[in-house]
Formats: sequence, structure tokens, C-alpha cells
Amino acid sequence: MEESASSKDISLKESEMLLLRGTAGIVAIVKAGPNGQFFLETENEEIVLGLEPHDLIVASALSVGEKTEKGLKCVLFMVREIRSPLIVLPKNHPASPRLPIVVSAGGKTVLSCNITPGTHPNQDVLCGSNEFDGLEITGTPEGVHVENLPQCEVLKVNFDI
Amino acid sequence: MCSIGDSFDIDMEGKLPVKSYECKSCGNKFKGIGKNVKCPSCQSSDVAES
Repeated sequence: MEESASSKDISLKESEMLLLRGTAGIVAIVKAGPNGQFFLETENEEIVLGLEPHDLIVASALSVGEKTEKGLKCVLFMVREIRSPLIVLPKNHPASPRLPIVVSAGGKTVLSCNITPGTHPNQDVLCGSNEFDGLEITGTPEGVHVENLPQCEVLKVNFDI
Repeated sequence: MCSIGDSFDIDMEGKLPVKSYECKSCGNKFKGIGKNVKCPSCQSSDVAES
């Protein structure tokens, strides 16, 4: 795959978590893994979410620092390893804008700074800090393909608690 | 696919391509999105859109 300056292919194992460290926010990415069945729990129903092993679970935080990175890892660990179902609040719930970390799961995620935490006008859009606006993250068999990657620190850490 | 959190405001009606499924193994009816959807009751992959 041809890469531009802001386009990158990054290898990622199931045992690793990819961190994109910005100045005002952090994006954390893990592979969905082999147990590709997750659950969305809404007020009225349960929805099964089927993912391929190379799909991604992406968490975005609007803060930085060691505590935030631990929080991102814990959220992703809860979702992928502990199999915590994802509880969906009703629309306009007062807790929505208070969420410090939000998660997207699927083949592709697009970061936007133009949505309020807790809302998503499109199904693959995840809110993030301004610097990550327009960032596109796609799962590949080898890892992750990113488009519109801003200047940020990119590193991999072990995905364990 | 979808943007979610431990608790997250999500527009389930207009945006997510939620489909109705029926399990051919146990008859369970459920809703799902994504790929390789399995029956949440018996874990069978033998499911069909209904």
C-alpha cells in the first residue's frame, strides 16, 4: 500500500495496544481478537455485534497522562477480555457528555472533534480531541492502517493489566 | 461500525444497520450487526436473516 506523509500501516498483535498520544487527547487501539461476538445493550433490546479478528476496538480520551492511558487500557480490557457488554444510554441522557472515554468497534473508525462526547452522527464516527479530527483507523490482517495521522507520538504497549 | 462507551448515546434507529436474525439450530430470534453473527443463546453460526 502506498503511503503519504499522514498515511501509515502499523503492525499490531492481539497482545498489544497501539497508543496515539496527542497533546489534548489519546487514542488507544486493540485488535478485536478471535472471540468476535460483543453485545450492545440498549434500553429496549440486545444487539449482537459480530467482528472479525482483525477488526478493531478503538477508545478515545479527551485527556492525556498516565492515568488516562491506564483508563483506556482498562476500558478496552473490560470490553475485549472481560466481555463486558456495552450499555447504551437513551438519547440525551445527562451522563452522555460526561463520558471521559468513548469506544468504537468495527472495521473502520473515523475521529471527529465536531461531535459532543456521547453522540455520533455517523455509525463509524468517534469523538476525539481536535488534533485527531479526520483521523481514519482501519483494521488490516497485519495490524492497523491510519489515514490523516497528525503529528503525535505512536507507540505500542503490552495489552495486559 | 458503531461508536459506543460503557454508557454512550447512540442513534440506534437511523444509523446502525441492525438486522433481525433467526437461529436455525435453536430457533432464537435476535438482532445483530457486523460480520459472522452468532446466536447469543446457543452460539451457533447457523443463523439467517429474518
